[in-house]
Amino acid sequence: MNVRWLLPLVAAPVAQVAYAAQYMTIEQAQRAAFPDANAFAAIALDKAASGVPAAPPGWSPKVWQARAGERSLGWLLVDQVIGKSELITYAVAIDSRGALISVEVLEYRESHGGEIRLAGWRKQFVGKTAADAVELNKDIRNISGATLSCRHVTEGVQRLLLAGREILRRDGSEIPAHGNG
Amino acid sequence: MRHRILVLTLCAALAPAAHGEDADLKAQVEALRAELVALKDEVRRMHAESAAAAPAAPAPAAVATSPAGAATPLPAATMPPAGAGSTALWGYGQIGYNRPTAHADEAQADLTRAVIGFNHAFDDATRVYGEIEWEHAIASADDAGEVEVEQLYLEHALAPDYGVRAGLMLVPLGMLNEHHEPTNFYGVERNFVETAIIPTTWREGAIALYGSTDTGVSWNVGAGTAPDLGAWDPTADEGRASPLGSIHQELQLAKAHDVSLFGALNWQGIPGLLVGGGAFTAKIAQGAPDFPADKARLVLGEAHVRWQPGSFDFSALYARGTISDTQALNLTFLGQPTPVPKAFWGGYAQGAWRALEWGQSSLVPFARYEEFNTGAAYASQPESLGSMPLPTEKVWTTGVNYYLNPNVVFKVDYQHFNNDDPALGYGNRFDLGIGYQF
Repeated sequence: MNVRWLLPLVAAPVAQVAYAAQYMTIEQAQRAAFPDANAFAAIALDKAASGVPAAPPGWSPKVWQARAGERSLGWLLVDQVIGKSELITYAVAIDSRGALISVEVLEYRESHGGEIRLAGWRKQFVGKTAADAVELNKDIRNISGATLSCRHVTEGVQRLLLAGREILRRDGSEIPAHGNG
Repeated sequence: MRHRILVLTLCAALAPAAHGEDADLKAQVEALRAELVALKDEVRRMHAESAAAAPAAPAPAAVATSPAGAATPLPAATMPPAGAGSTALWGYGQIGYNRPTAHADEAQADLTRAVIGFNHAFDDATRVYGEIEWEHAIASADDAGEVEVEQLYLEHALAPDYGVRAGLMLVPLGMLNEHHEPTNFYGVERNFVETAIIPTTWREGAIALYGSTDTGVSWNVGAGTAPDLGAWDPTADEGRASPLGSIHQELQLAKAHDVSLFGALNWQGIPGLLVGGGAFTAKIAQGAPDFPADKARLVLGEAHVRWQPGSFDFSALYARGTISDTQALNLTFLGQPTPVPKAFWGGYAQGAWRALEWGQSSLVPFARYEEFNTGAAYASQPESLGSMPLPTEKVWTTGVNYYLNPNVVFKVDYQHFNNDDPALGYGNRFDLGIGYQF
């Protein structure tokens, strides 16, 4: 009882530690990409049918469909790639026609290479579709000193665009029909 | 099990409405119920796909019940665990072959370096980074090799945008010192300017603050140990090869009387462009009693630019250093071949072109021109006893980096030297090399 007043003192540094590497939550990424959505429904990504080449083992991006009433606005895909030695968590928003709306870095943990968070670098992906190359040093420019992070995020975005195309093929741009699993 | 409870709870909550006379409402409830069943199946399938997705289960149910206007994201905990408690290993290595065209008898093959690096996350904000390096294959009392701890520092993020480092860290000067892996530079050997003038890999024991802004500016300021001018050997060639390389201490029982200050500023606001610079200054007499250069101060500054549009990669760097108060010290070195320079400098311009690319592989021809002088000026001495400046060395390097994949590189190049200096290994030569990093 008499130590309860200590709790905020303990909680403050713990909270700081827990979010030190987090730049954005999934919820913030959802709202930033789809400000008009009123619901985000988790969608299963059928890996066998995803048709994504060179997907690393254990690849399992999380997918949400952004909805405004009965209308699909697009999808938010959250995935992780290794930068140099640690995981980068990032989100890709794709509109209902399969074009990229935004790339957001949610969590970055490495000592170096955090420049991939720069808006200018991420903006290069806007408008890309699964039909584009999305390759470092081709249509995506590198950041000197952050080459590995740039390369791996670029490859990851390319995979998510392909995954988005597969979801689009499967579900169309409408809310998926229910009852068929 | 948890989903079933959720579904039942939700149905129970909706039940009073369903008992109403409004048939539409009833139909809506039925629709919701069907949706919940569908979502439950979906969740079950997600479970089967990925055990890591387990905590995601409650969210789909929440979607079905969310009031209009409220977004319902899954918690971040649905992602696989990362960060805290994790340990990672990495490494890089480099093997080279140098064949002087005029002295084939001096051709040499060497395992230049093998490095193992690691990092461990104590929690999401606190990490330790380390790199252990073996140079020249074997290190023993009878061999020329070295084993060294190249980096060992703690890093603590105070906020997502800035943090603090403490320990043995690389000085943030130039483009090579902090990014010296063989896949990151063109040519078998590291460039001369960032070896002779900025002594890559230059590290000091220090505490530093670092950070970045949304506008593309990254910064780094620190205070730490400094080179020891008392270690200058006027009889050896090392001071001519790299003035700072010959007196750096690398945190090996380092004399720590004097504190260095360093800072770096880089801007990468436009994708593909890097513009930056840095400076390092310190007194370097280390408080040695009766040392003739007791006020000696080192100042080293550099500026660099790199532009990587598409398949091209252009870069340029200029660095200049000065050491003050060396007149009396050099007087004690009279007759010796290597006095302490008052000024030393170097610069280079480099261009590379990703000419061919297939799959993961690429062929990148490059050319680099360097000028540098490790003894550009010496403190004047009475009676014309002062040393003459060294001639400026000019080196052309042309060659090809063949990347089997982005992390494995085979290199070949030819280096043309303006002035031969066999003692320092300066003379026209062919080089072959391999390198990797993971």
